[in-house]
Amino acid sequence: MIELKNVTRRFGNTVAVDNINLTIETGEVCVLVGSSGCGKSTTLRMINRLLPHSAGEILVDGEDVNAMNPEQLRLNMGYVIQGTGLFPHWTVARNIAMVPHLLKWPKERIDARVEELMTLLDLDPATHASKYPQQLSGGQAQRVGVARALAADPNILLMDEPFGALDAITRENLQMEMLRIQRQVRKTTVFVTHDIDEALKLATRIAVMDQGRIIQHDTPENILRHPASDFVENLVGKQDRGLKLMSLRPVRDLMSPHAEPRQSVAGEGAIREEDSVRLALSVMLWKDLGEVAVFNARGQETGVITRERIIQEGA
Amino acid sequence: MLVTKPASNVMVPNRVIPALGVLALVLVWLLDLGAIQPNRIVPGTGHGLLSAVGWLGAGMVTLTLAASILLSLFPLRLRYPLLLGLVGFSLAALPLLLDVFAGRHLPEASPYARSTIGAGFWSLLFLLSLMLIEIVGRLRAGRGLQLVLLVVIVGSWLMLLRGEGLASLSLVREFNARPDEFEQALWTHLALAFGAVTFSAGLAFVLALKMIRSPAWQRPVLGAVSFLQTIPSLAVFGLLIAPLGALSSAFPALQSLGIRGIGWAPALLALIAYSLLPMVRNTFVAITEVPENLADAGRGMGMTERQLFFKLKLPLALPVIIEGVRITTIQAIGLTAVAALIGAGGFGAFIFQGLGQAAMDLVLLGALPTIALALLADALFTMVGDSLKPTPATT
Amino acid sequence: MRIWLPPVLLAALLYGLSVGMPVLEPLFQWLQPDKQTVIYDRESFLFLLQNHLLLVVVSAAVGTFMAVTGGIFATRPSGRDFLPLVSQVASIGQTFPPVAVLALAVPVLGFGEAPILIALILYGLLPILRNTLAGLEGVDPTVREAARGMGMSPGQILFRAELPLAGRVILAGIRTSVTINIATAAIGSTIGARNLGDPVIAGLVNGNTAYVLQGAILIGLLALTTDSLFEALERIWDRRFSPQAAV
Repeated sequence: MIELKNVTRRFGNTVAVDNINLTIETGEVCVLVGSSGCGKSTTLRMINRLLPHSAGEILVDGEDVNAMNPEQLRLNMGYVIQGTGLFPHWTVARNIAMVPHLLKWPKERIDARVEELMTLLDLDPATHASKYPQQLSGGQAQRVGVARALAADPNILLMDEPFGALDAITRENLQMEMLRIQRQVRKTTVFVTHDIDEALKLATRIAVMDQGRIIQHDTPENILRHPASDFVENLVGKQDRGLKLMSLRPVRDLMSPHAEPRQSVAGEGAIREEDSVRLALSVMLWKDLGEVAVFNARGQETGVITRERIIQEGA
Repeated sequence: MLVTKPASNVMVPNRVIPALGVLALVLVWLLDLGAIQPNRIVPGTGHGLLSAVGWLGAGMVTLTLAASILLSLFPLRLRYPLLLGLVGFSLAALPLLLDVFAGRHLPEASPYARSTIGAGFWSLLFLLSLMLIEIVGRLRAGRGLQLVLLVVIVGSWLMLLRGEGLASLSLVREFNARPDEFEQALWTHLALAFGAVTFSAGLAFVLALKMIRSPAWQRPVLGAVSFLQTIPSLAVFGLLIAPLGALSSAFPALQSLGIRGIGWAPALLALIAYSLLPMVRNTFVAITEVPENLADAGRGMGMTERQLFFKLKLPLALPVIIEGVRITTIQAIGLTAVAALIGAGGFGAFIFQGLGQAAMDLVLLGALPTIALALLADALFTMVGDSLKPTPATT
Repeated sequence: MRIWLPPVLLAALLYGLSVGMPVLEPLFQWLQPDKQTVIYDRESFLFLLQNHLLLVVVSAAVGTFMAVTGGIFATRPSGRDFLPLVSQVASIGQTFPPVAVLALAVPVLGFGEAPILIALILYGLLPILRNTLAGLEGVDPTVREAARGMGMSPGQILFRAELPLAGRVILAGIRTSVTINIATAAIGSTIGARNLGDPVIAGLVNGNTAYVLQGAILIGLLALTTDSLFEALERIWDRRFSPQAAV
């Protein structure tokens, strides 16, 4: 758990972060969102003491960060930044092994961990371990960046616009990847982004920041349904909030399940239980259907979802 | 990012080699290949290509150059390796021309007569070397092949120069007249140049670190070292004479150490002063230009500043620092030659002695090894720098 | 106007010392009590200074012309084949020590001003050539692309876009070249050039430290004057072409 109590950060005369209070529960993904210069990165960097805070208190699992050795503190937190920050003179494997090395793990344990992480992040250890960062694509490099952050199995993960420099398709892939990994490893994550869609997709709770203050801190659904101010309303998009809500809801919530899963063929582009309601609606509109079958992960048809139900309850 | 090499690269006729080849042909036929001097000082009589080496020799030179020109124009797949062989072999065998020349023209009876190298030979050597550089570049040859070429050509030259046939060559005579002095000059030259480089490297490293820790030092330090670099070497050597002379007459103990207004002491001092600019600048820039986001990532992962310096900044900066050492060493080798003017010894002593006596081959005996040392230092440090480059070149 | 103050002051000092060196006779007499003459008098300092300057200016002018022309040629489509060789030669050539180049010029060309001038031109054009290549190659390709897209001819692109953009780097090359040449020209007095190196060499030969000092001081001043002149030129260039960079 991370707690920020009345935290302020000044740069000279300007106040970058203005007396914020924020509690991030263990295992949740808290996304700090806002336009550039709103203080979100500053907030993140104060948690691992890359920046000292000018006033207030930051507690990690109940302990004041200022009372801890900064290096020890950071070794227990994964850190991922935009543009990866991979060391260009180290191979992928050596980069991932950075923190385990600093913690002086035995070699076998490091090797095993590197391989495990590369597999987790869908990077083939045989082909990629001995490559250098420049030889990777942007998406691959950022996967390595995430693997490096996870290497010593820290409880906390700090991510500073990690996908900001990637193209739309790669970004989408990595977001899905992150959701998958998060389900497996359940890290307490603080994630900074300026992209509200990314925030809505990844967050357990979102903290909307503006001019150094937290305007609203709530679940994505509540942020969409009950924006605290005009600023938040504009940020989430006044008019297409309905569709955004739909993208938050899995098909599972609104389908009529069959009594028994049926064996049938899940073709290309079939709707799955975990897909968003928005996707299901889009498929129906495009194919001019009133309902579509829904499949589970094993490819069994488990129910149907109708257009009417979506229109009635979707958002 | 992969840059695809144009597929036609191999097949397009090369225009550089023909240009060099034609120029070589013209110059080698127009200028004197060599001259025969009756003794050390009297100017010799020049001989053109044909007169110097006869129809056979002239024909072979012409044929080789013509073959290189033609070969480079044909769209042959193997032409660059073939050219490499041809030009490499020609360069290695080049001293044979002088051998033949001496054999044909040196009067048997007069023991003081000597052969000297003419402008035609130098032009041929120069243009063949340019052709070799061009070919090696086109072949994208690695360090290994370059090293082999160097060893083969230099080895063949040394072997031929030590042979009987070239004993009459003026340059060889000058060397044979003073082998001990030559060796002494070599060691003095190396000791002065490398002593200065080593000392200034240490000093520069400390200064650069100081500049990084306290930015207030940056302007004065950089200002001072670039001021030193601006003053011409002759002036610095000259300006050091008076104070060092005064020092040594005030403290006779210094004199017994060899510290005087002239000699190795002012030379070393001036060399160090000159070496500071490239060293300090490169070391400082190299360390400060390590991208801040990398340091940030390292810091964020829990590295201490010390670990950051030794694991990130220093490895990334090292190639640039070595580049500074390379520039400094080359510069110091050249300046050491000038230092001979204030009695520091080294190869410069031959140069200025030769100039004083109008003995051109003594000048060469000083100038050529100086150039060779500089080229050698260049190759050595380029190689060290390349091997320290932490990442594979992204081609 | 303040930009020009250091070069003007230094130049005035240089001129003043060249003309008024005899005024300092008591000082040199004190330094060198055992010598009859303590002021170098074989030539006037002003004459030596003029000669030194002439040598450097002519070699810099010719060298710049040749290097820039060569650099432009090697970066045009018609001369691209020569680019790798030219840039290799420019960098390998700079590893040759200037003294050695000067010494090599003598056996080929003899003693006197001519070999020095040629050696200075050849050696001095290398840094200019290298910077010309670097400057022209460093021009953002999108600038060239945009210029062509707007309908500029290759000549217009060269003179209105490429050269102005590369000019700062070329100027830095000329500065390096001139600095080296002032020093090399001074050493040239060992092979018969009459310039500010003369008093130094004569002093070294006769053991007259006063001569050495006079020559050394004037050479040093000449170098500083020239360097501050280039400093001023570079500042003005920055101010004109990239006002935000010159603070």
